[in-house]
Amino acid sequence: MEGVAMKLPSFKTLSPTPISVASTFSIRRSFSFARRSSSLSAATITADSEPVSLGHRARKDFRILHQEVNGSKLVYLDSAATSQKPAAVLEALQTYYEFYNSNVHRGIHYLSAKATDEFELARKKVARFINASDSREIVFTRNATEAINLVAYSWGLSNLKPGDEVILTVAEHHSCIVPWQIVSQKTGAVLKFVTLNEDETPDIDMLREMISEKTKLVAVHHVSNVLASSLPIEEIVVWAHEVGAKVLVDACQSVPHMVVDVQKLNADFLVASSHKMCGPTGIGFLYGKSDLLLAMPPFLGGGEMISDVFLDHSTYAEPPSRFEAGTPAIGEAIALGAACDYLSDIGMPKIHEYEVELAKYLYETLASVPDVRIYGPRPSESVQRAALCSFNVEGLHPTDLATFLDQQHGVAIRSGHHCAQPLHRYLGVNASARASLYFYNTKEDVDSFIVALADTVSFFNSFK
Amino acid sequence: MNSSSLNVLASPPLISTLTPTLKAFHRINFSSKLSKRIRCMHDPSINLNFGSRSNPKHDFPVSLATAFVEAPLGTTTTTSADKLHLLVSEFRSLTEPIDRVKRLLSYATALAPLDDSARVPANRVTGCTTQVWLEIKVDELGRMRFKADSDSEISKGFCSCLIWILDGAKPEEVMGVSGEDLSEMNVGVHGKVQSRVNTWHNVLMSMQKRTMALVGDADVEHREGDRSEPHPHNLLFDYVNGRSYVESSSKVDRDYSISLLPLGYDFTI
Repeated sequence: MEGVAMKLPSFKTLSPTPISVASTFSIRRSFSFARRSSSLSAATITADSEPVSLGHRARKDFRILHQEVNGSKLVYLDSAATSQKPAAVLEALQTYYEFYNSNVHRGIHYLSAKATDEFELARKKVARFINASDSREIVFTRNATEAINLVAYSWGLSNLKPGDEVILTVAEHHSCIVPWQIVSQKTGAVLKFVTLNEDETPDIDMLREMISEKTKLVAVHHVSNVLASSLPIEEIVVWAHEVGAKVLVDACQSVPHMVVDVQKLNADFLVASSHKMCGPTGIGFLYGKSDLLLAMPPFLGGGEMISDVFLDHSTYAEPPSRFEAGTPAIGEAIALGAACDYLSDIGMPKIHEYEVELAKYLYETLASVPDVRIYGPRPSESVQRAALCSFNVEGLHPTDLATFLDQQHGVAIRSGHHCAQPLHRYLGVNASARASLYFYNTKEDVDSFIVALADTVSFFNSFK
Repeated sequence: MNSSSLNVLASPPLISTLTPTLKAFHRINFSSKLSKRIRCMHDPSINLNFGSRSNPKHDFPVSLATAFVEAPLGTTTTTSADKLHLLVSEFRSLTEPIDRVKRLLSYATALAPLDDSARVPANRVTGCTTQVWLEIKVDELGRMRFKADSDSEISKGFCSCLIWILDGAKPEEVMGVSGEDLSEMNVGVHGKVQSRVNTWHNVLMSMQKRTMALVGDADVEHREGDRSEPHPHNLLFDYVNGRSYVESSSKVDRDYSISLLPLGYDFTI
C-alpha cells in the first residue's frame, strides 16, 4: 500500500512536485496529500519577497496560459465562459485514473472503497466551500444547466399549479429561462420577468413588488454574466419566504469569484458549474435544503438512485443519491474537490479583493476607449462590478472585433449573445463582445487587450 | 489596363493552382472560349473580362469582384465553378491572415445595397452569429439573382464573394457549390472544421435551400439528370440533418435545422 504512494504521476507539473514529501503520506490520507501538495505550492509562493500580484503568482500554476496563438502571446479573457485549470486539479484527475479508478458506492473491493471515499470527500469539500451544513445537500450534476433542469422537472412539475407565478429577470442565462418555460407550459404556471432600471441592473423594487401570494419561485442570478451586476440575494430570500416562495440562485458567476455562504443567504436552491471555478467540465452541483430535497421526486431514473427495483415499481434512495442516476463523473468530482482546495488555499476573500481591483481597472481603461459602450452599472462606492465587461464599439460588429483580436493579437474574448438573448433584445443590440477576467489575469493582460482593441478599431475605421 | 493592376491574377500561386484544376473541369461543359481566356491570363496585357460585357474602366487593384458586381449579365459563359476557383486561388495567394481580412473588407464595400424592404425575418440567414439578410429571386431567364447585407463587415465581405460567384447562375450551378470549396477562404475560423461562426456556410446553405424552394424539385432534378457528378441533394441532406430528399425540399414550418455541430464535418466512422 505504501509503495503505491511513492509512484507519482510522471508528467511535468508547474508547481514544485513534492516527491519527497509524498513518501511520508500513506494512501489512506490522500486527501491531506492533495491538500499538502497545493498548499506547498502556496507556501512556496508566499515565501517570495517581491510584492507580485495574485495574478502573476497564480499564472505559474496554469501552463495553458503560457502559449502563443497566431503568432502572439495568448491573452485569455474568456473565463466567464470557462476557466482554466491549475496543475493541482489536473493532477487530481490524473491520479484518480492512474491509481484508484473504480465504480463507486456499491463495490466491495479496495479500489472501489477508495474511490467512494474520495468521491464523498469531494462532496464534503464542495459543501464546505459554500458553507452547506450537510454534504447530503449537495447533488452532483453534469453542470449548472442540468441542476436547474433538475429543480424544474423534479420540484417544479410537482409543486407548480396553474396560475402560480415564477419570477425571473430579463438578464437571466438561458439555462434559467428555458427550463421554466418548458415547465410552465406543462403546469400552467406563469413566468414574470423583472426588467432593468436606469443603472442597467435588474430593478430590485420591481422585483419586490412582483412578489405576491401567487409567487411560488424566484429564480435569479447572483452575478450577471453580461451586466457584471449582483443581486441582493439575502433580501430577496427574505421577501420570497414571507409569501412562502422558494428561491433558486444561479451562482455560476459568483461561487468562483467570491465567498458564497448558502446558510447566510438562506437560499433554497443554489446551482454552480465546476468548469467556471477551475474544475473540470462535466460536473456541477445543486445545493438544496434537506427538507426540500427529501420531498422531491426523482429526475432521471436508473441505477444508484433506487432502493429496491421490481418489475412493476421501484422505491427510491435518499437524497442526494435519489438525484444521481447512473455512474457519476467520479474523477471529475474529485478534481472539483481539488479545485475547491486550490481556491480555498489562496482564499476566496483574497481572490475577490484582487478581482474587484482588476474589475475597476478593466472598466476604467475600457471606458476610456472612444465609441465604446459598456453594459451594466457603473462602478461606484455602492456598486461593485464583477471582473467582466460586455461592450460594443460603435459601427463595429462584435464578431468582427473578436475575430481581429484573436487573429492579430492573440486576445481571446467572446462575442455573441452570451446565452442571454432576451437581455440583448432588451438592450436593443444583437450581440456584444465580452472580456472576462479571473484571478490568473493581470493588469498587463488588460493593457494588452486595450492596445489590441484600439488597433482593431482603427483598422476597421480605415475601411470606412 | 496596366500590368500592375493584374498582379493579383498573375501571381504564381494562382497560375500553378489553375493548371491542376483545369483537369478537373473536363466533365463540366467547358467551352473552348474559356480555355483561350485562361491561356490569355499568362499575358498581362490582355483584358481579363471573362465573357461579360463589363466596363473596362473598372480598376482591378481593388478586387476581382468590383469589376463584375456592376456588370450587366450578358451572355457570360463563365460558370460559378470557375468563379469559385478563381476566388479560392485569389485568397490562397494571400498568405497573411490580415491581408485576407483586408480583401474581404474591400469586397464588402463592393456589395450592392439591399433595400430596407428586404430586411425581413424571412430573409434572415439562420445560424450566423451576425445578422445576414439574403434576398433571392429568379429572373426572366431562369437564373438566380441574389442580394445580401449584414451588420458585420466581414460577413458582408463573405456575402459579396458568394454573390459574385452565384449571382446570375443557373439553379444547378448554385446547388453545385459545396462547403468544402469555401474552406480555403476561411478568415478567422481555425482549421478545416467549420464552427457556428462560419457565415460562409450558413449563407451558402441558405442560398441553396431557398433556390430549391423557388425553383421546385422537378425542374432541378431533370436538369441534374444529365450530370454525372455527385448529386447536389447530398448537400441538402447534410443541411436538414438527414431527412429524405423529398421531405427536405417541401416547405417546413418549424425550422429545427440549426445545428451547433461543425458544418461540413465528416461524422461518419
